[in-house]
Amino acid sequence: MNNTRALAGRISESAPPRSHLHRQRMIWAYIFVSIPIIGLLVFSLIPILFSGWVSLHEWNMLSPVGEMPWVGLENYIYLLTQDNVFRQALVNTFVFVIGGVASNVVLGLGLALLLNSKLRGQSLWRVLYFLPVVTAPLALGVIFAFIFNRNYGLINSILVGIGIPRQPFLSSPYQALFVIILMAIYQYVGYYIVIFVAGLQGIPQDYYDAASVDGANAWQRFWRITLPLLKPVMLFVVVTNTIGGLQVFDLVFSSTAGGPVNSTQTIVLHMYNTAFKFSRMGRASAMAFILFGIILVITIIQLRVLRDRTERS
Amino acid sequence: MATVERSHGNNLGSMSLTAVKYAVVIFGALVMIAPFLWMMNASLMTSAEIVRQPPVLLSAEPQFQNYPLLLDVLPFPQLYLNSLIITGGTVLGVLFTSSVAGFAFAKYEFPGKNVLFYLILATMMIPFFITLIPVFYIIRQLSWINSFQGIIIPGIFSAYGIFLMRQFIMTIPDELMDAARIDGASEPLIYARIILPLIRPALATLGTFTFIGSWNSFLWPLLVINDRDMMTVPLGLNSLRLFAAEAVNLNLLMAGTVLSVLPTLLIFVFLQRYFIRGIALTGLKG
Repeated sequence: MNNTRALAGRISESAPPRSHLHRQRMIWAYIFVSIPIIGLLVFSLIPILFSGWVSLHEWNMLSPVGEMPWVGLENYIYLLTQDNVFRQALVNTFVFVIGGVASNVVLGLGLALLLNSKLRGQSLWRVLYFLPVVTAPLALGVIFAFIFNRNYGLINSILVGIGIPRQPFLSSPYQALFVIILMAIYQYVGYYIVIFVAGLQGIPQDYYDAASVDGANAWQRFWRITLPLLKPVMLFVVVTNTIGGLQVFDLVFSSTAGGPVNSTQTIVLHMYNTAFKFSRMGRASAMAFILFGIILVITIIQLRVLRDRTERS
Repeated sequence: MATVERSHGNNLGSMSLTAVKYAVVIFGALVMIAPFLWMMNASLMTSAEIVRQPPVLLSAEPQFQNYPLLLDVLPFPQLYLNSLIITGGTVLGVLFTSSVAGFAFAKYEFPGKNVLFYLILATMMIPFFITLIPVFYIIRQLSWINSFQGIIIPGIFSAYGIFLMRQFIMTIPDELMDAARIDGASEPLIYARIILPLIRPALATLGTFTFIGSWNSFLWPLLVINDRDMMTVPLGLNSLRLFAAEAVNLNLLMAGTVLSVLPTLLIFVFLQRYFIRGIALTGLKG
């Protein structure tokens, strides 16, 4: 260590202009990175620590930070043992994520396979399927609330037309969550299609040719080549969209606002209400940390699965 | 003879298979655009026509005046302008902070580089909802409630953007920079004159993503903006949604929804190649 420092010193003595230039470049590099580093510290890293601190207190955001009463783990205990709405929100969010992600993977992969099988007009189809992805979830919520309306919605008109009785959909505690899941499928399937198409195009054609020579049929080629080679893409899709789904807010806010009777209440929506309607910042922060923990666990599971996969191969 | 017949049968089979494939894809595409078409159609109806049962497929007379009527209720030009300022500021900010830091991480050696880079990557893991309350508190302490910077500034630091830019800038040969240095160019000049022009495609990709995300964002503006004159398009749509809770104003609600979704749809249709490429890129990198 000392030796290298001495050496560096000697070099800088013997070649001052170069070292000067080097130092100047380094200073510029620090200036360049300092802008976003400071930003991420102020708006990301410090807030997460602060949020953890708040979750151990009772706070309405009006009293000074220094005077928040300490409550220890009380917020967490309350949420996990007494807050029925939170429990309901957890269940709803999980149903939403599992239903949405599973349907989207199946539909997305299925449509990607179709689009990838030399169909004409690929880019046109891709654009059409992608339109909902770039549409504000808030607007989609409004459109779906309109289409699934009990009295004048398009879907009920179709149902009545084919002899099925009118359904309450978003105004039914038993059906609303499924309509929300349909919305999520509608919004994101185009995104899955694009990722899966890219993944499919990354699989070398040689593999399929070789398998065909060996007499494998389309079904076998799918199960033995496509699916195993698509596994990393599949994992990426499942995990990023699970993480996204766990944070669902806009879609629900604009279509049901969590109702009827909390049947579409989600974690982030409940957190939003707890914090900004009822000014319980401590409890809302604890909620955020529980959700963050859930997301971390899911991510760790993903890394495990990925590692297992690479170890085996 | 037998083989000829069989291949004939296969052709028929593969042709009908292709027909089924097209049928599925076309049906799917219809399902995808039907809500948009239905919304546009309803925006040109009277409210009475919208709620009539059995449903009316087309208005007896297209109600184009719904749009001017809507503008009396909700000042869309103002909403567009507000959203444009916020989205424009956010896009420029993200492009600047991401490219400048990505440049430093890709092309310079400095002590602590790896630690700082991993720190930035780690912030990618932090979901928005966990920083919501603290950042709201910071914004309030700064008296940035009801201000555009209260929305823009927290949104211009993107770990994902820095990562994307670093990956892209790493592919630019050092020789270009060295040549400029010999000509006496300073480091900021190298960034502005050599790096920025070369990373235009990456900037376009990141810019399109940021534009759509920022334009559509709802929760954060909902917290920061209370002033009607400063509302963004999604906030306007939200207030219209509450205003049109009664069936009487459904036509206006649908017209407002059309005006809300149109900008991102147009941006996407024109810039889709950047968008699709960006998604394929991130999808496969994972």
